[in-house]
Amino acid sequence: MKNYDTLLNDLAPQKFGRKGVIWTTLLVVVSIAGIIAYIDQVIQGQVVTNMSDYALWGVYISNFVFFVATSFVSTITVAVLRLTKNAWRTPIVRIAEIISVAAIIMAGLTIMIDMGRPDRLLYLFIYGRMQSPIIWDVIIIPTFMAIALLLLYFPLLPDFALLKKHFKNTKPKLSKWYGLLSLNWTGSDAQKSIHIKSIHLISLLIIPAGFMLQTVDAWLFSTLFRVGWDSTNMGAYFISGAAVAGIGALITVLYVIRRSYNLENYITDFHFDKLGKFLALTCLIYLYFNINEYLIPEFTSKKEEITHLNVLVTGEYAPLFWFVIVGGLVIPIIVLFFKKGRSPLAIFWVSILVVLGSWWKRYLIVTPTLLHPFLPIQGVPEAWRHYFPSLHEWLITAATLAMCLLIITILVRYLPVIPIQRTADEQEQLKTGKNLES
Amino acid sequence: MEDNNKNSRRKFLDKGLKLGLATAIGGMAISKISKLSAKSNTGTGEFVELMTTDGTLIQVDSSEIVEVVHTTDPDKKYNVREGKPNRKYVMVIDLAKCKNALKCQTACNKHHYITGEHAWLKVYQMQEDEDTAPYWMPTTCMHCDHPACVTVCPVDATFKRRDGLVLIDNERCIGCRFCMAACPYSTRVFNWSEPNQGDMTMDMEMDMKAEGSCHSSPEFAGLPSVIGTVDKCDFCPHSIDKGELPHCVTACPNGVFYFGDKYEDTVTNGDETVRLSKLLRDKSGYRLMEGLGTKPSVYYLPPVNRLVDFEEGLEYFTEFKSVENPEKS
Amino acid sequence: MKKTINYRFVFLIIISGFFLSINVQNLYAQETKKNTIRLKADYIKTMNKEIAFNLRASSKVDGSNIDVANIELTVFNEYNDDSVKLGSTITDSEGKSTFVVNDLNLIKPDSTGLYNILVSFKGNDAYKRASKSVTYKDATIEAKIITKDSVNYITATLKDTATDSVLSDQILNVQVQRLFRPLRIGPEFNSTDESGTIIVPIEEGIPGVDGMLTFEVVLKDNDDYGTVKAQVTAALGTPVVDESTFDERTMWSPRNKTPLFLLIVPNLITLGIWGIIIYLILNLVKIKKS
Repeated sequence: MKNYDTLLNDLAPQKFGRKGVIWTTLLVVVSIAGIIAYIDQVIQGQVVTNMSDYALWGVYISNFVFFVATSFVSTITVAVLRLTKNAWRTPIVRIAEIISVAAIIMAGLTIMIDMGRPDRLLYLFIYGRMQSPIIWDVIIIPTFMAIALLLLYFPLLPDFALLKKHFKNTKPKLSKWYGLLSLNWTGSDAQKSIHIKSIHLISLLIIPAGFMLQTVDAWLFSTLFRVGWDSTNMGAYFISGAAVAGIGALITVLYVIRRSYNLENYITDFHFDKLGKFLALTCLIYLYFNINEYLIPEFTSKKEEITHLNVLVTGEYAPLFWFVIVGGLVIPIIVLFFKKGRSPLAIFWVSILVVLGSWWKRYLIVTPTLLHPFLPIQGVPEAWRHYFPSLHEWLITAATLAMCLLIITILVRYLPVIPIQRTADEQEQLKTGKNLES
Repeated sequence: MEDNNKNSRRKFLDKGLKLGLATAIGGMAISKISKLSAKSNTGTGEFVELMTTDGTLIQVDSSEIVEVVHTTDPDKKYNVREGKPNRKYVMVIDLAKCKNALKCQTACNKHHYITGEHAWLKVYQMQEDEDTAPYWMPTTCMHCDHPACVTVCPVDATFKRRDGLVLIDNERCIGCRFCMAACPYSTRVFNWSEPNQGDMTMDMEMDMKAEGSCHSSPEFAGLPSVIGTVDKCDFCPHSIDKGELPHCVTACPNGVFYFGDKYEDTVTNGDETVRLSKLLRDKSGYRLMEGLGTKPSVYYLPPVNRLVDFEEGLEYFTEFKSVENPEKS
Repeated sequence: MKKTINYRFVFLIIISGFFLSINVQNLYAQETKKNTIRLKADYIKTMNKEIAFNLRASSKVDGSNIDVANIELTVFNEYNDDSVKLGSTITDSEGKSTFVVNDLNLIKPDSTGLYNILVSFKGNDAYKRASKSVTYKDATIEAKIITKDSVNYITATLKDTATDSVLSDQILNVQVQRLFRPLRIGPEFNSTDESGTIIVPIEEGIPGVDGMLTFEVVLKDNDDYGTVKAQVTAALGTPVVDESTFDERTMWSPRNKTPLFLLIVPNLITLGIWGIIIYLILNLVKIKKS
């Protein structure tokens, strides 16, 4: 194996400094607070939330949809960029895969929080009915999780082998773990051929898997009669929304990691520029779907549609709606059009807006529709005509987000955030001018 | 010295453990005992003389006697999830007669021990447009033939039977509320907290015994309601099995609800018994939200030629309430 | 020695105190006022089948009427100064009970041809004793189906059993047995003519399971004869077609009847993808081994 000292010094996982420890502690505290709130919910029942028979799905479901959407990032960046031969993706793929894995794991956990009887979880598997969209979801989420994990793991094999050697003297125990995980990787031709074929296969597989995941998630809503959900748009709408959320999350995490680990040489302004253009493109596509979803129904002005639209555009949810559309989509598009807008710091703030916009967008998809059913809301307490998450819901939601970040943090702590072997190969390729990989 | 300390520590731990163990066992014993005593059937001590089939007289404690109705179909053995064949229950609601007396709602709440804040039977104040007439519209579960709720249930907790009823098995329900999101008639209700049916458990047991069953079943919704599961109107199969009409039908003083078997083409409101096809044809019956394709089993007769003004029903209209909660103990 | 005696003494005092207090409670219990029960008894005779007494016990407590559940009512047949017990029954949660006599010969009339039935309640801690007597004469309805000019009619004759004479100018109801309440066919009031007979056409198109219909001719709540019912079953209805989708594969059927498309395609896709995932995991094993 060649000597990759500089690379390893730059990219090998390092111990957390003070900031890292504070960050991790904070995440753990928030997670524990949420777990306590959840235990209280299990004991008292979901009456601790502000959900009612009308707002029967609230922030738990919108949070779940957000996680599913964010997990799309590995499909859209790793696989799609690979198939379109965008070689610049190398430094960002590891982080994208990490975010994908963390998000899909949290998606699986978050949906269980919304169940009224989590003790009957196994019934989904024993008594499942294939006619139900929830069962399609139950199938696709573990499937995607397996593929995302494989997509993360395969390219790690050569890196683990390198790290084993790197830490052999300084941290023997850690080195042993890396050794185990590297599965005796030696870089032999036999291993490499299996490796390359497998990665190619996973990249191909995760594209339909990712598309199916987003589509099935969309079908949870569009298979129902409700106004705002009963849309033929839903599948494509969710896919494009997931692309926006995924890339926004990726850029945010990328910037933070670049700053913390001083990786300016690897994740350059060029990468942010490219990602900025990609984000602008996905935002434009998503904006197009939003126009179809929210503007065109005004044309026929069907009573039920107009009730729904008015609530969003001028009514109770107007501030949130305009924040999501303008702040979460229009402003990012405008800013990203300019070269200066795609500089790392600028794009970081734009991405934060995009992620916030994405999270609140899912909130707008789930709850307002439920609050104007076909029959008038009568015979129930006045509070049931509104919904805003309760303290329990906020604590639990914050905890799920914290846990997602915690998973990312732990993975970043122990995995090389930029593929070492691949970077080395590419550097060599540049030097010798040979074409090593497609 | 050290040894003494160790010994005293050991003794302390020893005693502590023994005390803890005793407390734990004692606590468990107490809780088991309290459960037992709560469930024990207090015999009335009264004895009844009964004649057996061969003419001898025997003495039986009156609390062990189950009322059996002789004149109806003795063959009650059918699968609760299947129902009886060659039957299709339908309801007809005559909006021309409804005055919002809310006796139907009260009877339903009482007989299903509804303690939440959301009744299963609601009487809506309806008015399509300012220029069209307002009217009172009672709604129950529509027991649709193309039920959206059953289609989306992931665990088969809600199901459609041969006889047309859509029922809920609250031992299977996982509380995902997908069925509630699917129902366009907003007729389903969720038990967000522990339903405080505690005081009524004895009455419930008596009611269940009267049906000849000793455990809860989807045929008697609400007995008991289970936390974290969904409930709704069940068309009272427990009454139907006794040859009685659902409680809302008998409770209505204005004869608004008709109930019957569509295949027999006959519905009755307790007083009038008419051919269903004739009723729907003469009074132009329709179904709610027909365009959605759910094929509901509840027909409505339009509010024409009303005997009483709509405004008289406003006296009983409670916009924010549908269940009279029992006195909190 | 001294100590043990003291303990026993204290123990005895406590026990006796216990028993005293319980007895005192009993004394007080016996002084509470008892309520009156009102009994209702309706006599219904179904021809060639059974005689039923629909009993109902209610009581006025604190100004409102309540059903008296779970009390024993005994039914006696009184004739020739004798009181023969026919049996007893317990009222249900609604204070109702149906007492059925299968063999009509069990009830004996008195010398005037009157049947005297006494329903009695012997009283308990809460209620005083009560009784209600039902007196009736036995009437017979003979009903049959006839066809005239390819129209079906149901005809029935009403007779007094004791004198074997026909009863005219009595109102009979003709109806079809249905699930909850019978469906009336023919005019509302059918008066028996001089020969005690009525004739009612049966309309076409009444549905019945396998086309079977059970017709009933009823003399309702007659002062002398009570309620008498005759039943005739005939296949004069249109057969019921069960259109239930329960046995079909639909989107709303249980999982053992999923539509074939959903059974095959999603499972194929899932198995395909998982097959590839397993192949990839095997590749990892291969890498480890090589």
